[in-house]
This record gives sequence, C-alpha cells and structure tokens, in this order.
Amino acid sequence: MITQHFSTLVAGLLVAAAIPGQALAQNDTGKAVYDKVCVACHSAGIAGAPKFGDAKDWAARIKAGMDTLYESAIKGKAPAMPAKGGATDVSDADIKAAVDYMVAAAKNGGSSAAAPAPAAAPAAAAPEAAPKPRPAALSFNRLLKPASKRNPPPPEDGIHDPDNDGSYALQPPLSVFEGLPRSNAGNRINWVKALDSNQIAPRWDRTDPTAAPVVMDLNIVREVKGSMPDVVYPHKQHTAWLDCSNCHPQIFIPQKGANQISMAAILLGQKCGVCHGKVAFPVSECRICHSKKKDVMPVKNANAQ
Amino acid sequence: MSFSHAARPRPGLLLGGLLSVVLAGALMAPGDAHAEYGDVVINNYSDAAGMRPVIFPHWFHRLRFRCKVCHADLGFQFKAGGNEINMVKIIDGQFCGACHNGDIAWSVENCNLCHSAKPGTPTQVHESTIQKLAIQPQAGGQK
Repeated sequence: MITQHFSTLVAGLLVAAAIPGQALAQNDTGKAVYDKVCVACHSAGIAGAPKFGDAKDWAARIKAGMDTLYESAIKGKAPAMPAKGGATDVSDADIKAAVDYMVAAAKNGGSSAAAPAPAAAPAAAAPEAAPKPRPAALSFNRLLKPASKRNPPPPEDGIHDPDNDGSYALQPPLSVFEGLPRSNAGNRINWVKALDSNQIAPRWDRTDPTAAPVVMDLNIVREVKGSMPDVVYPHKQHTAWLDCSNCHPQIFIPQKGANQISMAAILLGQKCGVCHGKVAFPVSECRICHSKKKDVMPVKNANAQ
Repeated sequence: MSFSHAARPRPGLLLGGLLSVVLAGALMAPGDAHAEYGDVVINNYSDAAGMRPVIFPHWFHRLRFRCKVCHADLGFQFKAGGNEINMVKIIDGQFCGACHNGDIAWSVENCNLCHSAKPGTPTQVHESTIQKLAIQPQAGGQK
C-alpha cells in the first residue's frame, strides 16, 4: 500500500514537474525486465557482470556510451553475457529500458527507486515499445520464484531461523553451486552431469573414499499412452547414486509389466515420485524421462477399405 | 502424517490439488520461503521438546555422499519424518550419528546447526511436488 501511494505521489510529482510520463513508464518497464531477467547475474555481479548500483563497476561501461551498452545487452558480450540476458523473447526496447534502469541505479549509487530514465531513453526506444506501466498484480508468473530468490543463504531462505546463530554457520548453496552444470528446476543443478563430469565426487561408502559403485547400464523402455514420447528409464544414472535395494522390490517389482505407474501416482510421491519431485529433478522436466519419440505410424483408414 | 493421507488416491483429488494451488497462491505471500529444493524439515519431537525443528539439506549431503550411503547403508526411509530418529539413537551411532560423531562430520554438541528451523515449521520436503499440490499441513498441527 505504502509503495503504491508512494509511486502515485512520485508519478504526480513527475507529471507536475512536466517530465514526460513516458520516462517513468520506461523506468517501470526497465525495472520489470531487470527483476525478471538481469537480476540473476547483475544483482550479485556474477561471472563478471557489473553489479547493480555499483558505480565503480559501471563507470567504464557508461563511458563507452549508451549505444555500446545497448548493443552488448541485446547482442550479448563475451565472456558471459548472453544475448538479452538469455531472454530472447523480450523486445529490444524493453532491454534498453532495463539497461537505462541499471545505468540510472549505478549513477545513483544503488538508490534508484524512482530514478528517472536518462533523457536519451525515450528517444532511443523503438516505437513498438509503447510504454505501458504494469500493475504488480498482473506481473508475469507472479507465483513462480523469481530469479532473485533462488538459492538464498540459509538465514534468508524462510525456513531457517534467522535468530539462530547456527543458521549463519551453514554453507550457502551458491558457494558450491557456482560452476556446476545448471538445470532449470530443483536446485537448478544438473546433478547427473555434475557427477558424470567428475565435478563432484560424492562418496559411495561412508568411510572409504575409494569405493565405487557397480554401475549397470541397462535402459528400460516404457511405452506410454497418447502422443507423449515413451519413457526411457536408464539404470546407469540411477545405479551411480543408488543401491538396487533402494528401489527393488519395494517400489518397483523387477519384472516386466509388473509395475503400474501413472503421473498421478508420481505427483503424489509414489513410484518415481519417491525421489522425483522431492530431491531428484521434478516432474516439470517431462522430456528428460519421456525421451523416446514414437515411431510415426502410417495412418491407415480402416473404414475406407 | 499428511503425506500418508495425501497419498491415498481419492476422487476429487486433482480438483482439490488445483484448489489448494489457488489457495496457496492467495494465502502465501511471495517471499514466504525460498529454501533449497529437497531440504527436509523434521519436526517429530522438536517443537514439543522446546527445540527448533531440524533441517536436513539434501543438496549439501549429496555433494559429499551418494544417496545409497544413507538410504541403503544407514537405513533412512524415503519419507520425511518417517524415520523414528531421536538424540539417543544419534549418540548411539545410528542415523545421523553414523557420521555426525566428531569423526566423519561434526558431532552432536553443535545442536543449532541441525536444529535451525523457525519454531513451528511442520515436517516437510521443501519445494516438493506434493507440498505444492496437496493440501498443506497446518503449521503447529499434529506433525
């Protein structure tokens, strides 16, 4: 509420001061894009990204000129900046607005709640980006976890007690996740890839660091209904982490056709859902399991013949 | 245990699931909890004993041990709150105590490193599909 009142007030003041409403709207768009996309790296300054609000990080870049900055943002820049920060669906003008927002913040040393966009911004904006202030309630994917809230350190994660001194001694996830292969769900780490590439070396035995699993390389194909690709279950990736007895025979009877598996059961934490959806990658990653395309059947028109 | 009653398939479950998603969306302020996927909160006895509930970070342990070590060798069931763990067993070398003995990992006198959840946090697998879909256990319930 307070913010709303405040922004109304600010808007009123700005209009009263005869600053074009466009500038504010641009800045709103810029902030929205920043909060959704750029924040993932620029909030903490990950992988050499100039940190949000850090005048020192930004000074040289601002000196190079806004056009250069826009180009780096839109086309990407080695070594780590992907084109449009990876969000290729965002329009050029919106990306520019985000750059303006970040530059304004850097110039203000981080306190940029209502920093007006540089005068050049509205002029540079392409006409397709008709500035449209978006109410917060209409923000895209409002129930999803924003990038800025991923992998927080324990005292800030909402379940650890910030009043507990022990919470501050615990390892922050990002201190180890940096550099590991990423994924789009769960811890946002591709654990299988991390293990395969020897980037992590979890012990197979509690005390013996040299013990190694007996990996069984056997794929089980499960044909599924409808047009969904068939499931390929790889023993290989599972036996690298687990013992046979973890799954057999309690969860899966080791016999072809003996196991009824449905997505409903998995969603409720049974069958594959004993791990997938709790600790292994969740069911949102359909195609990791449903990975075998069905042979295209020639369409026979039984009625005609 | 909400998990067991939620696991029984019943009519209207999907509808209930959808409803609870909507409800959860309406009731939960964004920014409620953003802990790691797979963090297990165990509150079988903690609240009643005046201790903070335990948080077990799966991510931290799987970086160092494969699933098999705890779930096959040490006998941890795949179920949050489903292992009758208490401090006597831990000091006796069972469950967490197999490593948290001052030898492989730090020992039991570091109470606050495990007992670190906000008081009243219910037993859960944080961010699990079932936590997102099924009807939420009430905080301070009979967990």
